[in-house]
Amino acid sequence: METINSNAAYRRKGPAFYLKIYLKIVAQDIKSKMSYRTDFFISTIGMITTNIAGFIAFLIMFGKFPSINGWEYYEILFLYGFSLISITPTQCLLDNNWSLRRYVYDGDFVKYCFRPINLWFYYVSEVFDVKGLGQLAFGTGTLVYAWIKLALPVSLILILKTVVALVTASLFMMALQNAAAASCFWIQNSFWLLDISLKMKDYAKYPVTIFNDVFKFIFTFIIPVAFMAYYPSLAILRPDNVPVLTYLSPFLGILAFYGSYKLWMKGAGKYDGSGS
Amino acid sequence: MVNKLKKYFALTRLGVLETLQWRIALCVMVLGNLLYLTLIFFLWKAIFASAGTDVVNGMTFEMTMVYLVLATSLYGVVELYLVWEIGRNIQSGKIVLDLLRPFKYKQYVFWENSGSLLVNFLFTFLPTFIVVRLMTKGTIPLGINLIYFLLAFVFSIIINYNIDFIVGTICLYTESIWGINIMKQMLVSLLSGATIPLAFFPDRVAAVVKYLPFRAIYDTPLTLLMEADPDWHTVVSKLGFSLFWVIAISLFSNLFWRLSIKQVTVNGG
Repeated sequence: METINSNAAYRRKGPAFYLKIYLKIVAQDIKSKMSYRTDFFISTIGMITTNIAGFIAFLIMFGKFPSINGWEYYEILFLYGFSLISITPTQCLLDNNWSLRRYVYDGDFVKYCFRPINLWFYYVSEVFDVKGLGQLAFGTGTLVYAWIKLALPVSLILILKTVVALVTASLFMMALQNAAAASCFWIQNSFWLLDISLKMKDYAKYPVTIFNDVFKFIFTFIIPVAFMAYYPSLAILRPDNVPVLTYLSPFLGILAFYGSYKLWMKGAGKYDGSGS
Repeated sequence: MVNKLKKYFALTRLGVLETLQWRIALCVMVLGNLLYLTLIFFLWKAIFASAGTDVVNGMTFEMTMVYLVLATSLYGVVELYLVWEIGRNIQSGKIVLDLLRPFKYKQYVFWENSGSLLVNFLFTFLPTFIVVRLMTKGTIPLGINLIYFLLAFVFSIIINYNIDFIVGTICLYTESIWGINIMKQMLVSLLSGATIPLAFFPDRVAAVVKYLPFRAIYDTPLTLLMEADPDWHTVVSKLGFSLFWVIAISLFSNLFWRLSIKQVTVNGG
């Protein structure tokens, strides 16, 4: 404790320090959630039901229409599984962002401002959403199934590519949700923006080629839906014809995430704690 | 009777004022819906282009779009996130105060939210309807169908509210809101035809969904709205079906609430 309280330690806190703190906070959160066992159980069932219902909707659509814009069923299924996996970090790690607007509105946000650690880190670490892992399992199953059906080769390099692509897509999803949540520092009721950012994820599984040029631009550079599955997956699904944006996507992802973090912190800096 | 209504309309008025307070949120909501609709537009356009025929399951692309656009804006009107509100009131104990009010709880929650329903109807559904009507001259006729629609819409609100209220009551037992609410939201939006028109459902699934109450929330009002001169048989059977569920589900939710409120103790009350 002395080291944490000493002034010098504030300034030099490496990843190891944050990891240690994170594990401690998350352990507390999981413990407190486990004391509401029914809630945990029902939430997990809810998560599974949601995914199954989403999948049924997908099957209904493709029962009538075997392909979309030159993309066949299993390729879209691949993108579907891919988008479910890449939403996992947002779901598990950034879930507390959903409560941000309430904390800000009620004035309770001020309690986070007095800790000697990074404000954003401390805020998001408070909640770890375990049920997001169910979604991860569902997504992985879908991806593997599509992988087999598409007869994609199982090679180390391709798996490595997939992992990089998944991390990239996750960064974009986190960035969007983070920025949407941060908007509550300016407009207070950010629920709609968050809701939209969540809905966008559902459309990440469709190829961006379905849009006309104007909206292709918007959904690529302004609201990065195209980066949430399509561009990163091209490296795996269409290896012969990889656009520049796919190569750039990991860097753009880092940039987007960093930008959303900066926006969040800027908003938090503006917060005056008046609660209204 | 007049006094009784006055008391409820006071709640409506408050709700209207409160909703208008969130003007930016309202704009964001409208903008978000537009964005969402753009996605849907391009998606279905690509789907119909790939299908190779103009008419799929009796729906043209234009009809599908009109249906989905109206369904989305109707969703914005009808969905009031009441499960959250009821659930949170149960968890925080505020429900005890609400129970002491000179209203029946079910009535109170409904009228408290009626204002935002009204604002949403006037500021999202109505403009959407007008724009869609202007853009696609033929698809929405203006005639007797508007009356049928309004009637079906009232039934839709009642059924949807009762579903929310039943699910909210379940929160008395489970202390869980998120999981229950998300299940409800997914089931309702899938089975009511809000995300995919029921016409596209495979026959076997459709045969079951036909008898469930969810259809009355989006599918019935919208299909009635889009049909110029439906025969009496269709109108009576559709509205009759909705009315049946209005009565059945109201009775059930009242009964369920009365049984539940007796047995459950609330934290912090």
